This record gives sequence, structure tokens and C-alpha cells, in this order.
Amino acid sequence: MSATQEIEFRDAIRDAMSEEMRRDKRVMLIGEEVAEYNGAYKVSRGMLDEFGPRRVIDTPISESGFAGMAIGAAMLGLRPVVEFMSWSFSLVAADPILNNAPKMLFMSGGQFGCPIVFRGNDGAGGQLGSTHSWCVEGLFSNVPGIKIVIPSTPADAKALMKTAIRDDDPVFFMESERLLGMKGDVPVGDDVLLKFGQACVRRTGTDCTLASWGRPVHFCMEAAEELAKEGISCEVIDLRTIRPLDIGSIERSVRKTSNLVIVDQSWSFGSPGSEVAAQIHQRCFDDLDNHVHRVHTEDVPAPYAFNLEQEYLPNTRKICEAVRSATYNA
Amino acid sequence: MPTPTTNENSAHDVHGGLPIPRRATNRPVPNAELLRGWYRELVLIREFEIRCMQAYQDKKIGGFCHVYIGQEAVAVGCVAALKPQDPLVTAYRDHGHALARGMTSRACMAEMFGRVDGCAKGKGGSMHMFDREHNLFGGHGIVGAQTPLGAGLAFATKYEDEVINNGKSSRVTLCFLGDGALNQGAFHEALNLAGLMNLPVIFVVENNGYSMGTSIHRGTTQSHDLSSKALGYGIDATVIDGMNLLEVYHGMKDVVEKCREKSRPAFVDMRCYRYKGHSMSDPRKYRTRDEEAIWEQGDPIGTFEKFILDQGAITHDQIKSVQKEVKAEVRDAVEFADNSPVPPLSDLYHDVYREPWGRYTGTSEPLMYGGAMNPPTFRATREGDGLI
Amino acid sequence: MPRLSDTMESGTIVRWNVKEGDAVKSGMVVADIETDKATMEMPVFDDGKILKLLVPAGQQVKVGTQIALILEDGESLDGAQAATSAGAPNASAAGRPSQSASANTFVSANSSTRGASSVEPIDAQAEEILQADGARVRVSPVARRIAEQERVDLGSLKGSGPGGRIIKRDVMNALENRGSNPAAKTTDAPRTGAMSTSTSQSSATPHVAASSSLAVPVSPTPRSNGLVVAGLQSTEVAVSSMRQIIAKRLVESKTTIPHYQVTMKFELDRLMALREKLNSELASMGIKLSVNDFIVRGCALSMAKHPYINASWAGEKILMHQQVNVGVAVALDEEKGGGLLVAVIRDVDRKSLRAISSETKTLSEKARSRGLSMEDMSDSTFTVSNLGMFGVENFTAIINPPNSAILACGAALKQPVVRDDQLTIGYEMTATLSLDHRVIDGAMAARWLNTLKGLLENPASLLV
Repeated sequence: MSATQEIEFRDAIRDAMSEEMRRDKRVMLIGEEVAEYNGAYKVSRGMLDEFGPRRVIDTPISESGFAGMAIGAAMLGLRPVVEFMSWSFSLVAADPILNNAPKMLFMSGGQFGCPIVFRGNDGAGGQLGSTHSWCVEGLFSNVPGIKIVIPSTPADAKALMKTAIRDDDPVFFMESERLLGMKGDVPVGDDVLLKFGQACVRRTGTDCTLASWGRPVHFCMEAAEELAKEGISCEVIDLRTIRPLDIGSIERSVRKTSNLVIVDQSWSFGSPGSEVAAQIHQRCFDDLDNHVHRVHTEDVPAPYAFNLEQEYLPNTRKICEAVRSATYNA
Repeated sequence: MPTPTTNENSAHDVHGGLPIPRRATNRPVPNAELLRGWYRELVLIREFEIRCMQAYQDKKIGGFCHVYIGQEAVAVGCVAALKPQDPLVTAYRDHGHALARGMTSRACMAEMFGRVDGCAKGKGGSMHMFDREHNLFGGHGIVGAQTPLGAGLAFATKYEDEVINNGKSSRVTLCFLGDGALNQGAFHEALNLAGLMNLPVIFVVENNGYSMGTSIHRGTTQSHDLSSKALGYGIDATVIDGMNLLEVYHGMKDVVEKCREKSRPAFVDMRCYRYKGHSMSDPRKYRTRDEEAIWEQGDPIGTFEKFILDQGAITHDQIKSVQKEVKAEVRDAVEFADNSPVPPLSDLYHDVYREPWGRYTGTSEPLMYGGAMNPPTFRATREGDGLI
Repeated sequence: MPRLSDTMESGTIVRWNVKEGDAVKSGMVVADIETDKATMEMPVFDDGKILKLLVPAGQQVKVGTQIALILEDGESLDGAQAATSAGAPNASAAGRPSQSASANTFVSANSSTRGASSVEPIDAQAEEILQADGARVRVSPVARRIAEQERVDLGSLKGSGPGGRIIKRDVMNALENRGSNPAAKTTDAPRTGAMSTSTSQSSATPHVAASSSLAVPVSPTPRSNGLVVAGLQSTEVAVSSMRQIIAKRLVESKTTIPHYQVTMKFELDRLMALREKLNSELASMGIKLSVNDFIVRGCALSMAKHPYINASWAGEKILMHQQVNVGVAVALDEEKGGGLLVAVIRDVDRKSLRAISSETKTLSEKARSRGLSMEDMSDSTFTVSNLGMFGVENFTAIINPPNSAILACGAALKQPVVRDDQLTIGYEMTATLSLDHRVIDGAMAARWLNTLKGLLENPASLLV
């Protein structure tokens, strides 16, 4: 790999979008406050200046309208990137993003695809309360036809965003507000992409596999550090995309460690975590030393109070407890 | 030249609307060949829909089936006012639009039958007719869902013409909706965006007076003057008599021309009536048979037939032979559909994503590359890598 | 009884509006029918006369039952039955082959294949392990598997997991203490199958033994079946699971199927010319048709006339398949361990050359890069094996069960040929069909080959 440069997560996403917009005029960015305000979370900083208002487009607060509009544009051949200020607000656009985008190719017998990227903040921010703290992958991963990308580092965010924009299917790209300021080394150059469905082993270990994606990957790394002091060796796998799901990498790891703890920011009932658990029970039944353990967000609406929110989310303590239980060290 | 009247002032005025201006009266009559072509399309749609009803009752067609009988003049007249490259998107009562746009009756019927030769390989069905070749961007099953798509198609044509090709916006998008969609949020958001962004899209409300079994005055405010909906979003509105093909054609010609020229949205209250139920299982208890009978007197096909006979554009013999020809075409379509194979089961797993992933579609791409400590990022090796 | 709602299964005739002998017109409402949703009007779709009312008012009948006969205008009494619109479902149902019937055919045809290639169940897994005191032992799946492989008697272990569950750690401890600790005694006999199919990391068996010491004779092992002469210098190579399956299935095929072969020559002048023309015209679209694509399509089309070639022997019956799914043998790269897979192209008789070509290409690339899924390899009804690209003139192939025939194709070679009694230069290909004599006799095979010959020698017929 060639040279790298240390940049913020938000700028990695911005750079990916800008590079792709320079490369392909069919790509444009649309959403609330993306242009003149430079993005509610400053992800699209400077893009209006470079590309002008015809390609970086402010919309009114009208998610159902502009999401549907962008899908229509994608059917005709444009490659829109649609920013939801928060994925929590995508729920009012549920019909276009779930009923139109992922089904168009199938319903039209392969005639009309939907090369579109929806992106925005996903998961709890900081004390935003019940309506603004949605972790939508639990809902949306149930729908075939969608690809879901949840990066955990700036380098991944850039490479995966570029792949998302070039992908011919609808991609839901989920960013964590809490990671946007994180800095990391990102390869320099505009031709580094990352295939979907390719997990990454962030730390190797022998006693227990920790599988996660997005922000909780960092909690897993902290937990692994702490557990190492107790003599429990964890392997941390960052899935990076949950549709497609790189179940093979988890499978290989579990064959080695015989134990799996899934850390998933969404609610446990019918979540990506439960899907991974089911598949691993099926694929690795004879390799498991214990049933698969899961650490999820608590099964209640998101609270406002700081201490309650901390308890509500997956955290390092809960992960450590789950690993100890899974490895019979509780 | 006298034009037939519709029923806007009768006791059975289901729309309760303001009077409809007449436009065809002082216009030059299109040439005879064009008129005969339109006549054939009207008759074809009618015959196609009758045979759909029959096939539905014979259990050849599944699911929901919404027929277009009574509204034929709208599809034929609107499409005639468009250019072939203008995108068209519509709702679930879409067979008429598909046929008027140029889809073959065979492909349309085979789709209804759920067969592999259907326009969407049997995967769309009655409510989801798509035809890339003829710029038909779908029938859409969710009421109102196609209105933002219509705005988006217009956004894209304008973007292609102006931003990518540095030219002038040249295409208009026609977006059909029923009067029921007027009450959906998506419709209002689409109108606001279209008005705000100067999108060349025409929203044609096929106002047949009923959203399923709810008459328009029970579900929609300002039902006597739908123009007020559009005016609220700064969009010009027009009322057209949808039961009269010439009125539709001339009315739409004006709207399309203005929309294309100014690159601005437009709204059309197209007054019409559906003779059959909302779907095949609708007993039509919400309206009287008298009302239907009166509307049937203003049948768009009969009206147009009389007009072209009076004009001398067609003879009685020619009418007979068109009817015979159309009957044969639709019979052939039914036969074709019946003989077309059912889709292979493997088709179930195709067209979910552009690149098929096998049976675990989307959940797991078999045999991934992952697992390496530093998984290889790949470098695009040539321009266009990763694009279609 | 017409279906008048999307969920209607039967209907009651509330009232007939017509009586026998009445004239009717298209669109006229002849009856009111109560469905599961509402009372609906039932119109007729053609002009004619009511011949008979078969179901009286008040009676409920299933959708699809004939309720009346209409004599259409211009129709005679004899044809009336078939033309009744209400009776159409029955008439048309008979015209189409039943889907469920063909699906069943496929299930039974392939059950033998799947059975043959699947791993035999290990007895021990079904056995219940009891502790010395007769109590049931709880074991984690991986602990059970390691104990199987390493022959640790689980009944003698004490579990440290919840509820006394024996976990991996317990078995590993027992293994470490083996010898010194009498508790970790081994079970009596090796469990056959467990080692050979395992993917365990703990297995220390090297895949290639003695690869660096060719000069050192490998001592004969009990597994060598006595076939290897002592003193012959050999290296031992572990057999991949694919090769095991190839070995098993082909031995089974060759020893249970009465094979015989029929060979024929094909003049391919026109086919080669057509192929060249098509490929030059389609090159811009990235399409390159191979000779094999033509052969695959020709074989599939030939089945229509001779369905018994597209069949399977199933004990006391022969299954004639409703679909033509042609398997194409794909050789894997030798550097990567070699092997052979059969990629299956489905419904070939309904696919264009272009579709066949691109599907074959996709599947063989997939076979070579990532391997094929079960779905990609199952349900073949006939197989084509082609060694033409290696310049092979002619060869015979072993039938790929449950198929009844396989076509082995040589190269289309430029050679002196006789055309119109003149010696000239032309393309000829030799192909040999291997057949299952239980299903197909020689003359049947010859007739099929002749049909194929007709298609390949007049290749325009393959385009339509």
C-alpha cells in the first residue's frame, strides 16, 4: 500500500464523494442542509463550492419526497447520493426506500435498477432520546435487494463509500455520529476501493470470537484488551457490511475459537445479530463449545438520561461479561 | 364542429367539479390516419381489458386486477401528446398506459398470466408493468408512491440535458395518478419539490370520482376544484374532459408544450369515469346503476367513433375490420400468454441484485475473500471499473 | 363458477337472471353470485344462447365448476362444452403439464445422487453417552467432536460447564493428562469417517507426505490395499474430498450402469462458418460463441424428438424429465489440485445460444475461482464433455448418474473430407455417446445422433 494521510472520518466520506463526483458527472449529492450549511454534521464541507448548486442540492425537510425523487432519477440513470441527516428520519421515507429502491430491479424483470446511495447517521448519538437514536439496520437488513454498509474506520469509510457509489444496487451507508470526528490513516489516492462482503480481522485471538460492525467494533477492541489481562484471548472481526454478510470469515474464526459473542447496536429481536447467530449455529454446530452469546442494545426505547443511555447501549463491561460467560470463565 | 358533451352538469356528476373548458372546437382536426390509429388503440385497450376480466375469472390471472375500461381516451390522448423519449410513470391501473405506450399485447398479457414472456418475466404482475424500450417506468402498486418518482425522472432528464450535456432541458415526464393519491403525503411532497426545483413533470390526475369505494368528496378537500391543490405549490393547473379523446389530445398538447418550453411542472385534473369496479372483487355498491348507465352514454369510444365517422375519416366497414383485427390480436395475446412457459424456479433468485449471489441472496455471498488480517483493498484498474 | 374476488374459493348462485333458451349478449349480467366478500354480478363475455343451467339458484359450488352452458353464436351443439367460458379452468388445466408432477420427477431422480455424495452418518453421534452411574452426559458440540477424533471416553470425564456439561477445556485437559490420568482412557476402536471428513485444526495429518524426499521409499501402509508394490518409489498424496466423490460416483456409474458407446462423425463446415460470422458481428458486444455452445444447444433441441435420451433409470421405472438441463463438464486447473465439476445449465431447450454461452462461461469461471454451489451442479438430465480444445480426436466418457447418456466430443478438425464425391478440405468432429442400456437401446441412440447431426450440419436451425 502506498502513502497514507491522517484524516477525520467525516472527511474520508467527503473525499470519497468528491472523488466520485469528479470522476462521474452522473453522481450528485442531495439532502437537507448538504449544500449551503455544509452538512448538518459537516460531512459535505466544501462540496458546494467545488461542484455548485446543480450537483450539491439542498432540499426542504421532505424525506419521503426527495428520497422518492432520487430513486426516480436513479431509475433513469443518475447515481444520486442521498443524505439523511439521521437514519432516524428515514422512517418517514420508508415506502420509497423499502418498497421502491430494492424491488425495482426485480419487479421490472431486470429492466430498471436503482444505483443509489442513502447515507447518514445511524445509532445513538449523545442523549438524543427515543426518536433520534434509531439503529435502523435491525429493520432494514430484513429486506432483500438492499446492501448495507457500516464502516468503523476512516479508511474503510472512504473505500466503502467509493464502492457504494459505483455499485449498481441500492446501498444504505450508515455512519455513527460519534465516530465522525475520529482520525485515522487513509490511503492517499482516488482509486482505493473495498469489496463488499469482506470482513476484517482487527485482532487475532484463540479463545473467543467477537463479531461486530460500526462503532461497537471499538468497544470490542477495548474489551479484548481488558480480557487479555485475564488470560482470555479474543479475535475481533469487523464485518464492515452486513448485506452481503461475510459469514465465512466468522465461520473460520469460530472453528478456531469454538466461541462467538456478537456485539450489535440494534435491538436483539430479529436483528443482524440474531441472523449471524442462527447461521453460525447451523454452520459451526460441531465446533461450538457454548451457545452463541449476543450483546445488544437493551430491548427498550432509547432513554435520555446520560447514565441510562450508557446502560442501554452495548459497552465494554457488557462485552467482557458475555465473553467470560461464553468461555466458561464467569 | 360540435364536440360531444360529458356529464359535468347532470345529476350524476360524480366529480362535483367546475365546468370544463372546451379546447378541441377551434382546433384543426388531425389527419385521418392518425385518427384511425387512435381509434384502434382505444378499441384494443377495451378488448384487452375485457379479456383480462375473463381470464381473471378463469383463474388465469392472479392477485389484484384493475381494469381501465371507460378511461381509454386518457391514456391514448396523453401518450399521443408526448414524444417517445419522454418518460412515463403511472399507478396500478396501468394496462392501458402500457398498451398506449407501445408494449405489445402479448408481453402485457403474458405478464398478467405470470409467464416468462411477460414484460417483466412474470415477476411484476398486473400492477407493475415496466417497459424500458418504451420509456415506461412502471406501474406502481402503492397509491401515490409514483409521484416522487415522476419528479425524479424529470429531475434526471433535466440534469442529463443541462448539467451533463450542457444543453437545454428537452424532455417532459408524464406522471399519472388517481384522485385517491391526492390525499397521500408523497403527492404533496412531490408537488412541492417539483415546484421548487422547476422540474418538467406533468401530474395527470385521472379523476374518476372514486378512490376504491370512496367518492372524491368524501376523501378530498376542494374536490370541486382540484386546481387549488396545485396552485398552493405554485404549479399551473388545467381541467380536461377525459371522456373525449380530442379534448385530451389538444388539452395535453398545450400542457406538454408549455412544460417543455418553460421546464416547469404542470397539473391536470383529468375528469373521467371507470365503468368497472376498483378491482375484480368490487361489487360497486357505493354507486347506482343509473349513474353508470348515464356515464356509459358518454362512452369515449362511442363518442370518438361517431366523430371520426362524421369527419369521414373512417367508414363503417373499416370500423368492423378494426374491431375484428383487434379481437384477433387479443385472442392471440391470450393464447400466447397461455402457451408461454411459467418462469423457471431459478428466476426467483435473479434480479434481486445486479450480480446474482445464489440462494442466500444478499445475506451471504458464497466463498468470500475475507478473513485476512489486512484484507486486500483493490485498486480500480481501468476507467469504468465497477460501472455497468 | 368464475372467480369474482381475489380470495374466493367457492360461490353461491343467488339468482339466475336468465333461463335456458334465452339469448345473451357480451357484458350481460346473467346471475348474481355471492362470494366470500360480496354479492357480485356475473357477466358473460360472448354473444349466444343459454343452453343449460347446470347449478340451480341457492346452491354453493367451487370455483371452476361448470354452472351453465352457452351456445356461442355460430357454434354447433357438439362444440358447446369446450367453449363455455365458465368451464374453461378445467379444460385448460388439462392442456398444461402439471407443475407438481414434474417437480416430483426431479426430486426422485436426484435423490440417489445426493445420497451417494453425502457423508455417511457417524454411528457414535446417534449413540447416547452415559456416565458410569447411568446419568446422561451433557457435552458441548466441539467437545464431543474432539473426543470422537481423539478417542476420549466422555463417560469417564467430569464436566466443568453449567449443569456438569463437558466442555472443550475438559477434553483438552484429559488429552494432556493422557497416560498419566487413568480417567482419560481411550475408546476401543477408531470411528471410521470421523477423521477423513473432519476439518479440524488439531488434526496433524499432513496433506502431502514425504514430498521432499522422493528417494526414500514410503513404507507400505495398511491403507494401500496391497496394490502398491513394495519398493516402488512413490509419494503419497492425500485425496481431496472432490476426488473422493469423483472416485465414488464414477466407480458406481461404471459398475452399475450397463454402458455402451455409439460414435458418429459430424460435418461442421457450415457451423464453423456461421460461428465465425456471428463472432465477428457480436465481438463488439463481448460475445464469443464456442463450438461447445452450439453442441449443447443442439443436444437440448434433439431431446424434443427423443425424450428417452433425457431420462433416468429409477429402479422399476424410467423417469422422463420435463426439463432439459445439460451438464457441462468443467476441468479445474491442475496447479490448484485439479478435479472435475459438472456445471448445470437449466432449461437449455428454451435458451438462446447467447444465453447458453454466457451462462457456461460464468459457471466455468465460477467453478475455477470460487467453486460451484449445490444448485449450480444439481438436476442435470444429460451431460456434455468436450476435450476438443486439447485437440483430442475422439474419446468415451462415463455416464454422470442419474443421467442416461453423456456425449463426448472431440475437436472440430480441418482434414481431407469427401463432399459431393469430391475430396476436399473440411471440418469434421467425432463424438461418442455413452448410454445406459437399461433406458436406451442402440437404434434409439443412433436416431438421436442423427437428429443432432441434422441440427449441427444445418446450424441455422440452432439460431431460432
